[in-house]
Parts: sequence; C-alpha cells; structure tokens
Amino acid sequence: MAILALKTTRRARSTSLESDPALAKSKVSIFFGRLALLIVILITLFPIYWMFRTAFSNNRAMFGEPLNLLPVDFTFGPLRRVLGLSTTAEALAEGGSGASINFAQYMLNSIMTCTLITVLQVTFSAMAAYAFALLNWRGRDKVFSVFLIALMVPGIFTLLPNFILVKDAGLLNTIVGIALPSMFMTPFAIFFLRQFFLGVNRSIIEAAVIDGANLWRIFRTIVVPLAWPQIITLAILQFIQYWNDYLWPFLIGQTEQSKLLTVGLGIFKSQTPQGNPDWAGLMAGALVSAVPIFILLLVFGRRIVGSIQSSGVK
Amino acid sequence: MAVTARKGSQFRAAVLFLIPASIGFVVFFAWPAVRGLFLSFTDYNLLRPPVFVGFENYIKIWSDPVFWNSLRVTLEYVVINVGVQTAAALVLAVLMQRFTRTMVVRGVIMLPYLIANVIVALVWYWLADYNLGIINAALDFFGIHKIGFFGNQNIAMVTIAMVNVWRHLGYTSLLLFAGLQAIPRDVYEAAEVDGAGEWRVFRSVTLPLLRPVLAFVLVVTVVGSFQVFDTIAVTTKGGPVDATRAINYYIYQRAFERLDFGYASALAVILMIILAGVALLQNKLLRANESDLER
Amino acid sequence: MKKNRVAIALIAAVPLLLAGCAATAPAASTSTATTLSYGLWDANQAPAYTQCAADFHKANPKITVKVEQLGWDDYWSKITTGFVSGSNYDVFTSHLSQFPQFMLNKQILPLDSYIKADGVDLKAYQPGLAELWKGSDGKQYGLPKDFDTIALFYNKQLTDAAGLSADQLANLKWNPDNGGTYEAAIAHLTVDKNGHRGDEAGFDKNNVATYGIWMENSGGGDGQTQWSFLAATTGWKSTNGVWGNKYNYNDPKFQKTIDWWQSLVGKGYMPSFEAQTGIGWSDQLAAGKVAIASNGSWMTGAVFGAKSATFTPALAPTPTGPNGKRASMFNGLADNIWAGTKHPAEAWKWVKYLGSLACQSVVAKAGVVFPAIPAATDAAVASFKAKGIDVSPFTIQVKDKTTFLYPITDHRSDVNALITPAMEAVMSGKAKASSLSAVNTQINALFK
Repeated sequence: MAILALKTTRRARSTSLESDPALAKSKVSIFFGRLALLIVILITLFPIYWMFRTAFSNNRAMFGEPLNLLPVDFTFGPLRRVLGLSTTAEALAEGGSGASINFAQYMLNSIMTCTLITVLQVTFSAMAAYAFALLNWRGRDKVFSVFLIALMVPGIFTLLPNFILVKDAGLLNTIVGIALPSMFMTPFAIFFLRQFFLGVNRSIIEAAVIDGANLWRIFRTIVVPLAWPQIITLAILQFIQYWNDYLWPFLIGQTEQSKLLTVGLGIFKSQTPQGNPDWAGLMAGALVSAVPIFILLLVFGRRIVGSIQSSGVK
Repeated sequence: MAVTARKGSQFRAAVLFLIPASIGFVVFFAWPAVRGLFLSFTDYNLLRPPVFVGFENYIKIWSDPVFWNSLRVTLEYVVINVGVQTAAALVLAVLMQRFTRTMVVRGVIMLPYLIANVIVALVWYWLADYNLGIINAALDFFGIHKIGFFGNQNIAMVTIAMVNVWRHLGYTSLLLFAGLQAIPRDVYEAAEVDGAGEWRVFRSVTLPLLRPVLAFVLVVTVVGSFQVFDTIAVTTKGGPVDATRAINYYIYQRAFERLDFGYASALAVILMIILAGVALLQNKLLRANESDLER
Repeated sequence: MKKNRVAIALIAAVPLLLAGCAATAPAASTSTATTLSYGLWDANQAPAYTQCAADFHKANPKITVKVEQLGWDDYWSKITTGFVSGSNYDVFTSHLSQFPQFMLNKQILPLDSYIKADGVDLKAYQPGLAELWKGSDGKQYGLPKDFDTIALFYNKQLTDAAGLSADQLANLKWNPDNGGTYEAAIAHLTVDKNGHRGDEAGFDKNNVATYGIWMENSGGGDGQTQWSFLAATTGWKSTNGVWGNKYNYNDPKFQKTIDWWQSLVGKGYMPSFEAQTGIGWSDQLAAGKVAIASNGSWMTGAVFGAKSATFTPALAPTPTGPNGKRASMFNGLADNIWAGTKHPAEAWKWVKYLGSLACQSVVAKAGVVFPAIPAATDAAVASFKAKGIDVSPFTIQVKDKTTFLYPITDHRSDVNALITPAMEAVMSGKAKASSLSAVNTQINALFK
C-alpha cells in the first residue's frame, strides 16, 4: 500500500497541535464528528448531573418528584453529613445515619495508599515489560504467558489467602497492608506496557548497546521516555482504580490511620437490612470522593495531550 | 516478531528486571491459584478444615443446571458488553483523534470511570426504576410502554451490560487513544496526499496500525467481563429467577453465602480454564503482537 | 533521573515501613484491663448500645467495650473473614439467618454453663424468643435482645381519600379464595392514571398510578414480610418444627396462598415482579406509588421519618385469616460470643448486661426496636408513643399470642438458594405455585 510505504521516515516530529495531520480537514466530516461527540458527552453527563441533583436534595422529599430536574428542596445537608459537619440528630432528621466521616484524614490515607501502589506497580511492571518486550532470552514468551494467567485468577482465590498473609505479617490496619498485593505488579500493567515497548525501534537500542550503554541505562534513558505518555496513561488509570476499590481496603484498613475514603463512605451504603441507602448522602459522598481524582486528571491529563508529538513508539 | 537477535543472551539482565514483578506474581497470584486448585478437590466450608473428595465437586458441577445457566448468561453479558463497548470506544477514540484537540472531551468521557462502580450501579438502578426513575417517566410521557430494565428476565442482563458500557466507555477509548497516539503522524499526511476519505483512512490506516492495542484491549475487556460481579451484587442479585446469575456471582454465592468453598473453588477453576482458552484464542486470531506496520 | 530516584527511595523504604508496622501491631494488653470489641449493623441502634457500653464500663471499670457499626453486607463480610482469619469481634449481634451455620461450625460459644452459674432466668423474656437461640444440640447460644413482628404500613392520605377508616383497616379479613375484605380494601385503594379505582368499572389495570399493596420481591423461603402472615392463618407451617428436617412448600394450603397473592398482579392491584424490582418499598410508599405495604417493626423509624406533605404514615395490624386469627412471624436478635475470643468471661459479662433490664431500658428509650424483656417492651411502646407513633399493631400479635417462629433448620442458605429463583418464577407469572412441589422435594433431599 502506498500509504504505508512512508513508514520508514521515523524522525521525531514537533508538529504543532493546529497542524496535526491526524485531524480531519473536511468541513462536513468535522460537523458530523463533533455532533457525535456532543451526543456522547450528553449521555455521559446526564447520570452525573443526576448525582449532583440528588446530592443537593432533601432525602425525605426527593422521591415525591421523580420528574423534577432540579434538586428537590435544595439543601446542603447531605454534603454536611458527608463532611461530618452535622449533628447526629440533624442527620437522622434528614434521613441519613448518625455516622460521620473524618474526611481529611481518609483522603490523605487514600492519596498515600494509591500513590504508593501506583508508583511501585508501574515502575516494577515497566521493568518486567521491558524484559518481556525488548530483552532477548530463552523462554521469554513462555514466561510471559504464565504471567498472563494471573489476569485470569478469580478474586475469590486471592481474597482470603492474601488477607491471612497480610494479617500474619502484622500489617492489618496499615496502608502498606492495603497496598501489598498490588504494589509489585498487575498482569494488566505488564501486558499494557509490553504492548507499547514492542513498538520501540530496536535499532535505537542496538545502537545504544554498541555505544556501551548498559541495559538499565537504556531502559531509563531511552525506553521509558519514549513510552512516557503511555506510562502516564497507565498510572492514571491504575490510580483511579485503586481510589475506587472497596472490599479489600475495607477488610484491611479499619482504623482512622488506615481507612480509605471509599471505606469511610461505605457507611452511607446499606444502612438497614432491608431499608434503602441514604441516597442524598451517598451521592454527595461519591461526588466528594471523585473530586480529588478529577483534579488529578486535569493536571496530568495535559501530559496525555502533550504527548502527541512523540513518535519513537510506532 | 522480527527480532534481529544480538549475539549472547540477556537472560541475567532479564532476571534482575523481573525480580519485583515475580515476587508479586508468585505470592499474590500463583500461590493463591494453586491453593484454590487444591481446594477444588475438597469439601471445605471455610470454618472447618478441608476434606479431600477427589473429583466430586466437578462431577456435581457437570449436572448443575444453575452452572450451565450461569455460563449462558455470562456469555450473553460478555458479547453485549465487549461488543458495544469496544465498537463505541473505537469510534469515540477516532472521533477524539480526528475532530478535536480539546482536553474537555477527554476529561468528560473519563468522568464515569472516576465514580466507583457500586455507586454507578445504584445511580442507574434509580434512573431506570420502573416507578420512580426518570427514564420510565419519560417513556410514559411519550406514550411508550414502561420497561422493566432490571426486573424483566429478558432485559435485565442487557441493562447491566449497558450500565457497565457507560462506565467503561471513556476508559476503553482512552486505552485506544493511547494506541492512536503511537501511530506516526506521517502516515496521515500520506493519506491526505492520496485524497483518502474518512472511512478509508480509518480502514486502511488507523485500524491496521491500531491492531496490537486493539487486541490488548479486547483480551483485557473479555477477561474482565467474564468476571462481572459488582453491578449484579448491587442491583439484581442474580434475579429475576436466574437471569443475571453470572458465573462469578454464582461462585461468590456458593462460597460466602452457602459456605461451600470447595464447590466454589471448582467453579472458579473452570472459569480460569475458560478464560485462559479465550485469551489464547484471541491472541492467535488477532496476532496481538504485530501491527501491519512491521511487515 | 529524578523520577527514578524517588522510586528507588520508595522501594528502599518499604522494608522499613514493614518493620515499623509489625512492631506496633500487637496491642499492648495488660493483665488487668480488657477491651472487648462489639459489632452491630443497625446505625439507628448504635447510639443506644454505645450508651450501654459506657454504663457497663462504669460498673466494670476493667472492661472497655468498643462498639463498631457496619452496614449489613459489610458486617457479614467482616464476620466471615474474621472467622477464617482468626480475628473477629469478641461479641456480635447475630441474625437467625446466619446463626445455624455459626453454631454447626462451632464458631460461637454455648452459654449454658454461664447461664447456670449466674442464675440467668430465660423466662424473663417474651415467651418463645429464647427458644430461637437454642441450637440443634440443645444448647443456648444467645440471650434475646429484641423482637420484631409484621404489620401493614399505609399512607393515611390515600386511605382517607378512598374513604377507608383506620378502624376498617385494623379489622380486615382475608381468605385465599376471594381475598376477603383485605382484597376489597386493596382493590379500592388502587387507582389508575384516569382516576378509576380498582373496584370500579373502566379501571385500566395496565396503567396503574397507585398500587393498593406493594410486592417486596418474592419473599424467598420465609416470606417474612410478604406472605408468611397470610399463609400461617391457613394452618400452614413452613417446617416440621424448630430445627426440623422437612419443608412444606408442597402443601396445597401454602400454594393456594401464593396463587392468591400472585393473582393481585394480574388484577393490577400489586406491581408485577418486573415493576417492583428497583428502589425499595419504603421509598415507593413515601412517593405515593402505593397505599399499603406489609413490613417489619424494624422499619418503623425509617417510614415514619419520611413523613411529608403528601405522605402521612400509619400502621394497621395484619388481617385475620381463615382460622379467625391474625398471624405474624416472630423474629428476634441475640448476641453471640465468638468462640475464638481471648476473653470469654468478660464477653459473657457484657452479653449478660446486654440481656439485662438495665441495657434494654436504655434501648427502649431510643424507641427504635422492641426489647425482649416485657417491662422494656412496654417502655419502648411508650417511647414510640412520645414520638407520635402507635405501635400496637405490632405488639397486638404478642399480646394475642398469634406469633409463630422464624423457620430455623440446617442448610438454611441452600434452601434459600433453591426456593428463591422458583418463587421468583412464580411471582413473575412464569410458573404456577404447584411448581414449588418439585423444588420442595429437592430441598427435603438436602436433609437425607
């Protein structure tokens, strides 16, 4: 194919955003393309708007007006409940539970835990992916397949043994205990990074080897920078995943110093055996806990955009 | 793979690079899996020591109608979830690549993934409630018959699949977007010179070059979809009748509600074997490791 | 590179962190002072039990009780994990749906020797409650702390609009053939979109705006809040006694009751299984989507708290049946001691206190549940009254001795796993109640 014949030119380009050749040029295509994007955005946003609407509604009055698009009986009560600003009596009067959460502390715990997991996991997984993608050794692909099997181990197998392990290590109620099972690697992370490392131009590496660079330096100064946008993408996705994780941190971290935000918010879920949750409090809590990662996404999201120029990875 | 191997193995370096990941793999994945395999041959209720029973659990599973049904509904879920999600995410990723450079779109489509899936399930449970949900209220307003999204045996699994599509669409399209970014810009320039239309660019440039990442996304989402759990646990709990009793939820119920951990382990082993088979097949079919650029 | 140095520093720090945490992990326990952990799932009761714990500590300065409340699902995950891993609450609130498994697997302590030594009188509780916590081995595992019964919650604004008086609602009669005045009231309370009532000509059963009664799923194996209070008035019993080995889902009396109950869907008086799946009944009642919902006394606080401009909650007792009497399942909670506790003697002291009039009076004052000791029950009734809630529709069942016990047997969770999908098939109209006979055979085979 003629188009593909050009693939040989692989110099790093510094195309400005405006003239990015990947952007469509036809006016008609642009109109329909953007229209489609708008529809996707609306579908995405409506349920989230509904959460906002609920979070500022009175839990008691809300169900009387299912079609009202605005908050019913507007109140900051749920938000105050989540942040532990209202008294037990106030909370009960609004249909909440008396429980409150130590928001700042739990958020700090969450940030520390997720940072610990993400930094270590991505680092170790990148090292492993490098060995699987770019180093030559016998049995490499077989060992990789074995690692991939970990992707398929059902949670039911790992939950109890890992719990007992953490308990025996004396790490119950510690942040390290929560991080332990996922901080060495996940098969997903290795698989993802390997996929991109495979695209790194081998001649660059071979040239470096001839220049006498050792493999660790090649990893650090060539491979990682080339795949940096993908590494950041992975880090963000993993961070979000652990931020939202519930069951495992619930089982491990029960003290003030080890309770994560999601676990703290769990009290707004399933209050009575057959009753309903404190809807407004639950939604307020969900939104409040999403804000920190939303900010993170905004800050690091720029990096993903800024990475379009890199073409060392094909 | 076109590996122009240099002389001499890099085995020792590879071992060093793999040490941390191997610790994680052996301790937190391999060992629990081996232990699970052992427990699948036992009668174990969690509270008393396991008793070895040979293949009894597997024999019972063979004639367990709930198991066969769970396979069927899980498959239904996987096909709908992965099919819709991958197709939509692919379109979305390409739309984002070719029609906009603004961060806003990427930020917005990631929002659902920022919300814990238990909460997402609850929000949709409410939006789609037969009596109090706004979706049915709107249908009713337009004179269309209400739909029992979670309560109708024929629809419940579709609903659950679509709820998870909603949450994961941004995530999947971001993975694909990362793959699109890795496509050299110059091939698009060439396409432009050739005067190729939107569809042709997609078919003969984007899709072939995206294949390794697409294959990766497919393997990961299929394996993940087979293990659907949270959404079901929060909403239908396997019902109505057995319509949403997916294999992973059935395993959980057997293990923790009925304290039949040996049987649940055997079910989980079968699930693992199925998943390994699916992944192997996908890898073969999609030649996951190569893109057309290489050849 | 800077980034890598950070990573390496973190890696190096891990062993230090591990060591640091390990060193602080074992709690310093002196020989004299003891701390007990106590678990419960109901947030509404947590303040009362925290008060009990404080009073208990005052009387026993050497024992401190740490009260921990978790939502229902989390609560049982934590307890199951706790049994397996060997770290659990010393004492926890238990439920009859879990109790048989815990007892049969020797995860909880029998209390007989303590009861005997301290001379605790099991007759001090409402009759029947202590029996619920007797294991199949004949040993006593818990002291009753509270009980619950069933009544009809209704929206007084809707019944007033329909011209039904509180008195009429309190004296409904039911039979499985034509539903009696119970069905007539339900029909009259059902209103379609055009304002036609269920018993009027022109009623459109496919477009119901307000249902007469709510279906809260199929009720599974016990139908505690759904159908047990009806089926029991026909003389049906779910099993052949406490710790029985035979279920009676094949009994025509039971199947006839279920067929009648299901027939309300076809008539448009009750939401279909499809329409009731979703947000729970109490929110539907508060939203005016339904006039009556049968449920348990534990929901009183939640329902009456939801009072609004369009919702005036009220209570009526369950209808009388073919035997001329009412019926209600009688269920109660108790506290169990974990078999692995390091402080069994102290745990018993706390359990004994929880079962005493002193603590139950504190619970009564909160006006959330009915404590198990009659004097405290009366105090709770008074507390409810002070909040403007007449709970006699619940207590009348105890007064008239029309209660029957929650079915306790071995294999309880297996029974539920078999009967629930079958009941759901019946309630979605996919099968007749007679199909339950086959399931009953499967269930009884579990006991062979």
